[in-house]
Amino acid sequence: MSSLARSTSARTEAGAPASVPGAAPSAPAVRRRSLRRRRRWVGLAFAALPLGIYGLVVLVPLVQSIQYSFYQWDGVSTPSWVGVQNYVTFLTDPVLRSTFSHVLVLIGFFALLPIALGLLSAALLTRGQQHGMAIYRWIFFLPQVMTTVVIALVFKRIYAPDGPLNQALRAVGLGSLARTWLGDFTWALPALGLIGTWVTFGFCMVLFISGTSAIAPELYEAARVDGAGPVREFFAITLPGLRGQLAIALTLTITAALRTFDLVWITTHGGPGTSTLTPAVALYKAAFQNPQVGLAAAIGVVMAVLCLAVALVITRVSERD
Amino acid sequence: MRISKTERTVNYVVLTVMAVIVLFPIGTFVAAALSPDRSGKPVGVGSFRWDNFSTAWTQAGFSRAMTVSLIIAVSVVIGQVVLALLGGYAFGVLGVAGEKVLFPVVLLGMMISMEAIIVPLYYQFRTLGMTNSLPGIILINLGMGVPFGIFWMRAAFRALPRATFESAELDGAGPLQMLRYLATPMVRPAIYTLILLSFMWTWNDYFLSLVFLHGANQTATVALGVFQGKYVTQINLMAAGGLIVAAPVLILYVIFQRKFISGMLAGAIKE
Repeated sequence: MSSLARSTSARTEAGAPASVPGAAPSAPAVRRRSLRRRRRWVGLAFAALPLGIYGLVVLVPLVQSIQYSFYQWDGVSTPSWVGVQNYVTFLTDPVLRSTFSHVLVLIGFFALLPIALGLLSAALLTRGQQHGMAIYRWIFFLPQVMTTVVIALVFKRIYAPDGPLNQALRAVGLGSLARTWLGDFTWALPALGLIGTWVTFGFCMVLFISGTSAIAPELYEAARVDGAGPVREFFAITLPGLRGQLAIALTLTITAALRTFDLVWITTHGGPGTSTLTPAVALYKAAFQNPQVGLAAAIGVVMAVLCLAVALVITRVSERD
Repeated sequence: MRISKTERTVNYVVLTVMAVIVLFPIGTFVAAALSPDRSGKPVGVGSFRWDNFSTAWTQAGFSRAMTVSLIIAVSVVIGQVVLALLGGYAFGVLGVAGEKVLFPVVLLGMMISMEAIIVPLYYQFRTLGMTNSLPGIILINLGMGVPFGIFWMRAAFRALPRATFESAELDGAGPLQMLRYLATPMVRPAIYTLILLSFMWTWNDYFLSLVFLHGANQTATVALGVFQGKYVTQINLMAAGGLIVAAPVLILYVIFQRKFISGMLAGAIKE
């Protein structure tokens, strides 16, 4: 039992007589309260192991990341202080800066497109309970449980020079459009983005469908009595009712786009050239292949700040009236 | 709500089109895995080449890699459940001294991306000689999993009626006894979901394993990445290897689909 807990309970006892006599807490109430206080220290003891491991593995490196990001270090020799130079490099180097525009393209495919598809399907499906929804839900969640490595291989084959996509194009007489999708400077990034669309749209659909089922049916009844058509109904009832789910979907998909690594690393390594380079791939290369450890740490810090900012801004906006 | 027959039909058409879009790429992948043709051209049932799986298994060295993945995943699952029970019980039932600061710090961990910590983590572990070691990567997975674990089990414990604990306390049960014999059995469904999610996340990890483990300690996902790089021209073997690596989680998903889906939906709402 720590002395801090003992001293606070002593203070309560000393303070008690000063209050109005009639309102003085009864003896069992005092005992219960001090019991609760003691329990909080037992609670801290219980939480010590998980908190300790969390601190060691997450919090300490988090602080060190910030520290590393102000140094230039090749991973071997003595690090030297360079101030904010690594951040400046990340934001001004043309190749590194291009990763931001790649992320913007990916956000379109990972976030906006799946969310639009999810909303469309939710709007169509609100107007009645479907039988067999469980099977569809199972299928839509399938990409969520598959490891990204396998998903990357699935699409590497789809996009291959003689893969199903090009075969289909040739079969319908559009053979001139056939190309090595993942080796094409213009098309590699959108091709990767579409993989993200494929992975997330089912999740968004299920999220929005379960969200609309929580909207009170009376709202829809009332709208119909007022003569609202499906479009008005969607904008007046479904969309506002899904605000919470929208915030979740946006946060998850935007941060996923920002953090894309596995998919790119397995399929293109950031190429051709640097046309599919993402911040996470740039970080990996800087940290472990051609060590510029300080720069890698700076990229990590910027990514973390952006993820946090995305989460906070979206939550704030969605909770505002 | 009553809806017309046409509307119902339209709904099914939409759902089915979406489902086909999801299933088609996976279907061609499975067909490729069974094809005798190197380019993975689909063939009829009669000419399926089942030994693609055993060929891929030996050539990719999956015996070793799958064992490594399994050891890591099982250790992480066990460790994470214990840590989540301790932390969740502390924050959800006992209360924690300083929780006004500590709990937000824990929640922050769910929003910290791996990229923000991986660089110092690697170089510190290298100094300690803990890179390329299974205990090292298990420890990292455990630490990264603490925030969700505490969040998840805390919610489960808080949903229990408080009176249960109060009467047990009056009967003289200590906090550890209450956790073991009273609280844990009552939150069993939440524990099962945590086990499934934690197994899936650990098994499917690529980034962490790629950074920390090499050579004989490669996990199945990393070994698959290496394998596909070496066998670019043998699509059928590459696909077979992919299905082998995806299989454990897929099998669990088939058996425990409801727990997976409800867990992932609830887990997403954490933020």
